[in-house]
Amino acid sequence: MRRVALPLIAVVLVAAVLGVQVAAGGGHYVPLRPANPCTPRPVPPIPAQLEPLAEQIVLLGLDSAACRLGISRERLVLALADTRTLTPETTAALKAGLGEAVDRLDGEGRLPKVSQLLPQALDQANLPGIVKTIIEATPHSLVDSLLPTGPLLRQTIDQLDINQLLHELHDPSQLNSALQSAILQAALHQILDRLRP
Amino acid sequence: MDPAGGRWVDERLQRFAGDTELELRTGWFPNRDRWCGVYSEWRRIVAYRRRGANAYRASGDGFRWRRLCSCWHLDRGESLLMSADRSDQPTSSLAAHTTAVAVLSVAVAVVLGDSGVVMLALPEILRDFGAQVWGVAWVLIAFNLSLALVAVPAARVCVRGDPAVATAGGVICFTAATTVCAVAPSLGVLIAARAAQAAGGALVIVGSLELLVAASGAERAGVRRWAAAGVAGAALGPVVGGLLTSAFSWRAIFVVQIPAVLLALPVAIALRGRVVRRRPTLDTSPDRPHMLANLALALLSAALTAALFLLVLLLVDGWDRSPAVAAVAVTAVPVAALAAGPAFRGVRAGTRSEAVAGSVLIAGGLTGLALLPGAELVWTLAPQALIGLGLGLSVDSLTAAALRDRIPRALHGGWTIAARHAGVVIGLAILTPIFTADLHHAQTPAEEAIASLVLDAPLPASTKLDLAEQLGRRLSAERGRVPDLRPAFNTLHLPASQAPAAAALERGLEDQLTRAATRAFRTAFLVAAGLALLALGPALALRDRGRS
Repeated sequence: MRRVALPLIAVVLVAAVLGVQVAAGGGHYVPLRPANPCTPRPVPPIPAQLEPLAEQIVLLGLDSAACRLGISRERLVLALADTRTLTPETTAALKAGLGEAVDRLDGEGRLPKVSQLLPQALDQANLPGIVKTIIEATPHSLVDSLLPTGPLLRQTIDQLDINQLLHELHDPSQLNSALQSAILQAALHQILDRLRP
Repeated sequence: MDPAGGRWVDERLQRFAGDTELELRTGWFPNRDRWCGVYSEWRRIVAYRRRGANAYRASGDGFRWRRLCSCWHLDRGESLLMSADRSDQPTSSLAAHTTAVAVLSVAVAVVLGDSGVVMLALPEILRDFGAQVWGVAWVLIAFNLSLALVAVPAARVCVRGDPAVATAGGVICFTAATTVCAVAPSLGVLIAARAAQAAGGALVIVGSLELLVAASGAERAGVRRWAAAGVAGAALGPVVGGLLTSAFSWRAIFVVQIPAVLLALPVAIALRGRVVRRRPTLDTSPDRPHMLANLALALLSAALTAALFLLVLLLVDGWDRSPAVAAVAVTAVPVAALAAGPAFRGVRAGTRSEAVAGSVLIAGGLTGLALLPGAELVWTLAPQALIGLGLGLSVDSLTAAALRDRIPRALHGGWTIAARHAGVVIGLAILTPIFTADLHHAQTPAEEAIASLVLDAPLPASTKLDLAEQLGRRLSAERGRVPDLRPAFNTLHLPASQAPAAAALERGLEDQLTRAATRAFRTAFLVAAGLALLALGPALALRDRGRS
């Protein structure tokens, strides 16, 4: 009995320490696991401003694209950071994902009207003063009927060159310029489409 | 002569109840067909075979020898006469012996502590020489590998010559190599000097075993002192190294060793010719190494090194604690090791029981380190305490078992040192690739966790893009190590309204890195726990002789 007393005490001590550690979460102290991109995330309220709207569309678009590619949203973002490894499948999935994001927000009625975004957009746009004045003078109801947000954003996404955009991520002025150009072209297309008999 | 006065347990066991208290019994004792002389310690024993009026010297004599008897097969008509020469008792003062024991113990502790003394300095050495983890690990491996290879040849030198001379030579070699370590201009020179340090250290360790027995005045006390000094050195080495690195630099570790070991030089010189050893004879042939005890020592040393090496790396590199904080944190191991004796005094029941309990405690402590529930230092204390208790219970007990009743003593001391440090090398060789690979693989989940937090952070998209670019640079620059993300946040110029969100994000990212690093060490800790459990095999097979 005396010979097994010490090993028994050792076993009891080890069991006590491991028991406390496991009860306190030992074994589960690991990095955050990426969420399943195919499970829709809750969307927070979107202020009627360009940057939060663009960010929300990108976040939802990344989820959709990652789901299509069968990887996590985070893995996709890390892959996009290295433009040398981009594949046509990735850029196509991203474009499709952004389109789905707009569809979802439009379907849920979360997209702000263009007239709400217009003042900020005009501030940032590199347009002649006379054009800005004409647009500002246009009644908001007319703007919103000519440029519904959902179709405008879909058209903008169609216009975007995803590869070029990703290369310009580190240069905010180039990025803004590319986005403005795509939005203007999309707006022009939309207006022309509406005005056509 | 009264044969009944012998109190033999059996004819070859050569143990008797009186142990060292029994004074010399000149004369002879019948023991079936053999005749054995019994003597106590502190006597030069000369055995004579006597036939009638003629007496002639029997083979072998003893002086403070652990085996308290020798047996001779006597011819008809012969008797055995043993005499003791009291003039060979130590005549120097008790204080001188106490000083010699203390100085030699410090030398043994310093040399064996060198095995892991640079553990907490590795990150600083890594930065100083711009090396990789695997390269810097050689600062540890070179010492332990050299010690494992040289310990037995060094012991043979001690057996053939005067251990005091061998020790003095070892001290000179060790201090010269340590001086080179202190001023090493490159990692290559440091690694080479560490190997030379171990070669000199091997002579100091095995020579000191004989000198400690001579200075202690009793074999058991000397061997215990030697084993305890080794355990204390191995346990305290990383702590002292960490504190010195924090207070001065990693080079200070080597500077302070020089005087500590040099003190052993005059002691060794003073003990020249004082070590009296029994020459192997027909009755006292050299023993084979104690395979089971040495194997258990090797496996436990592998596990213990892992415990200290991995824990120190986790604290300093994974959790970003300073070497000083890490040094204080890992004192839990030596404190528990020292507490093991008093704590378990009432239930200690022999080498096997202690080795089994020690293996279980070390394996349990390592498993505890693999299952940490958080990155607070307090979570490491209980697993460290288990490891320390296991160390205190098993290593000196196994060392004593490996040396008990075996001659030549220095050679068996050499075998235990070789076994322990071979275990250290094997542990490092097995575990370093595992945890470096796991650290590398931990990058992916860490990067994904970082990306997730940045994407969902309540910061403007433009700020996130800036931050992502900076973070990407940090992660690329420190590939293979746990990155420091603070510079990425320091370069951001944020309005005051965004500062709290940025600070919360920074804390979140640091937490994710800590989690990833902690997770990366899990497999290595579990493998080390497996090594400690493997030691249960030889431990269970030990013949338990109890604590006499």
